[in-house]
Amino acid sequence: MNVIETKGLTKVYSSSFKKNKIQALVDFNLNVERGVIFGLLGPNGAGKTTLVKLLLGITFPTAGSATIIEKDISDYKIKEKVGYLPENHKYPSYLKGGEVLKFFGKLSGMNGVNLDKRIDELLELVKLSQWKKTKVKAYSKGMMQRLGLAQALINDPDLIFLDEPTDGVDPIGRKEIRDILIELKNRSKTIFLNSHLLSEVELITDRVGILNKGKLLREGTVKEFTEKKEEYKLVVDSTDTEPGNFAYTKQPDGSYLVKVADIAELNRIIDDFRSKGILLREIVPLKSTLEEMFISLINESERNNK
Amino acid sequence: MNNIWITTGYTVREALARKVFLFFLGLSALAIIISAIVVNIISDSTLMGGVDFKQGGIVVNEIATSIELIIITPLTSLCVLLAIFSTASFVPVMLEKGNIDLLLSKPISRTQLLIGKFCGGLLVVLINVAFLVIGVWAVVSLRFSYFDFTFLSIILSVTFAFAVLYSLIVLFGVITQGSVLGMMLAYFIFLILSPLLYMGKEQFSVIIKSDFINSLIDVFYYIIPKTSELMGETTINLAIGKGIVDTQPILTSLAFMFAALGYSIYLFNKKDF
Repeated sequence: MNVIETKGLTKVYSSSFKKNKIQALVDFNLNVERGVIFGLLGPNGAGKTTLVKLLLGITFPTAGSATIIEKDISDYKIKEKVGYLPENHKYPSYLKGGEVLKFFGKLSGMNGVNLDKRIDELLELVKLSQWKKTKVKAYSKGMMQRLGLAQALINDPDLIFLDEPTDGVDPIGRKEIRDILIELKNRSKTIFLNSHLLSEVELITDRVGILNKGKLLREGTVKEFTEKKEEYKLVVDSTDTEPGNFAYTKQPDGSYLVKVADIAELNRIIDDFRSKGILLREIVPLKSTLEEMFISLINESERNNK
Repeated sequence: MNNIWITTGYTVREALARKVFLFFLGLSALAIIISAIVVNIISDSTLMGGVDFKQGGIVVNEIATSIELIIITPLTSLCVLLAIFSTASFVPVMLEKGNIDLLLSKPISRTQLLIGKFCGGLLVVLINVAFLVIGVWAVVSLRFSYFDFTFLSIILSVTFAFAVLYSLIVLFGVITQGSVLGMMLAYFIFLILSPLLYMGKEQFSVIIKSDFINSLIDVFYYIIPKTSELMGETTINLAIGKGIVDTQPILTSLAFMFAALGYSIYLFNKKDF
């Protein structure tokens, strides 16, 4: 089941006198399945936040259509099953942490003992229990972010949109947020994550989309993005014997980098090592980082646009 | 409906967090205390000097109502002035980036959100006006042992006058996402335009000979909210028990309020954030 489906979603912003038009999103097609963590990556101004705002009815599409949880995005009632943490969220400064959650819980249709219980659970989850009765104006950036996450989860949503959820959070807090997201995924929740922190996205997402200038450049699993199919690192026991007649690069640590055409060639190389009595300790398929892939894709897109 | 109540409740909370409403409640309390002291210090003969007491309750009624009006009229005007100032930012603050995103991500329609904000502002002013009017009425009524509950109906006329101006503030809040223009227009109508059109409508037709311009002034008169009449004639007639004598200022102001609110809702439902 697709929790998010967009078809030709387009958003064009016009200036007051309609002279300047900015294409924030162009013919955007995407399907996100239930129970996955989807990471949307892109440079500033790529259209990531616009997409989330369109899906949540905060902004209206110029063309195209979209559904979330199998209902059209124009139906505001679908948001009973949706949570959202915006990038620069603001809470009424006169409210205390617990009151903020109560307000958004009530707006999400919750009330009474269930809501109070949920608030306590969530404050415990984001480690803000002792700050429940403190006004949010006294909260640090990291605490606001954690409160924001609790707010996004208040109605136990099936689909959660998070825009830079770890912004301003310390490394321990980031790890805790990652753990929460993985736990949510294990409970079949779908998480749509906008982030600049590629290393973090790489750690937790199942699928990734790369967006630039409103266009989806590529979408796939993290593995598909990062695997270099024909490159391997062969780690061997220290030896003076050199392997045979094939191209390799010897690394300072004694390991070998090899490029092969297919798996058969890799096996021939392994046979060669063994025939010379070189003991293999490890065969590591080489990967590029998501960041390398991201930069390469964006640069390629920029070149094509010129 | 529940969403409107929630938004209304939290708007009242927002208002209380701002000190202006508490300031006015304090001011009203002070006015009530001073009124109590003054009407109790002054003797009956001073208050009703020259009045033939044989005429009984009717005279007491008139004097009590007059005293109530003398105290309340300037204070309710001050109340509306302060209310315009302190409610003008409710909608713009709601529309701020980071705030509106969160609200619209919840299962609440834009119409409910805006109506909730409007009702919240109105409820706060209603509480303030009611506190002041009931307080002064109680002090004077106790002093004269004369309780005329019809006087309390002015709570509604004053709140209604504010509601009409507030609809304009909400409209310009949605259009500009700021509070300044709406506030300026509300003050302009309340302090200048409405009194000018109210007092000068008859005189204009004598001075200006052009039928076209007179018709234009007439149109203008009927379009602009009649806060002067609502706070003046309508309120006094209600206070002295005459009831609503002229429905025109109420109906035309009501039409203005619905038009302004309706257009605000239409624009809000179309707006990108």
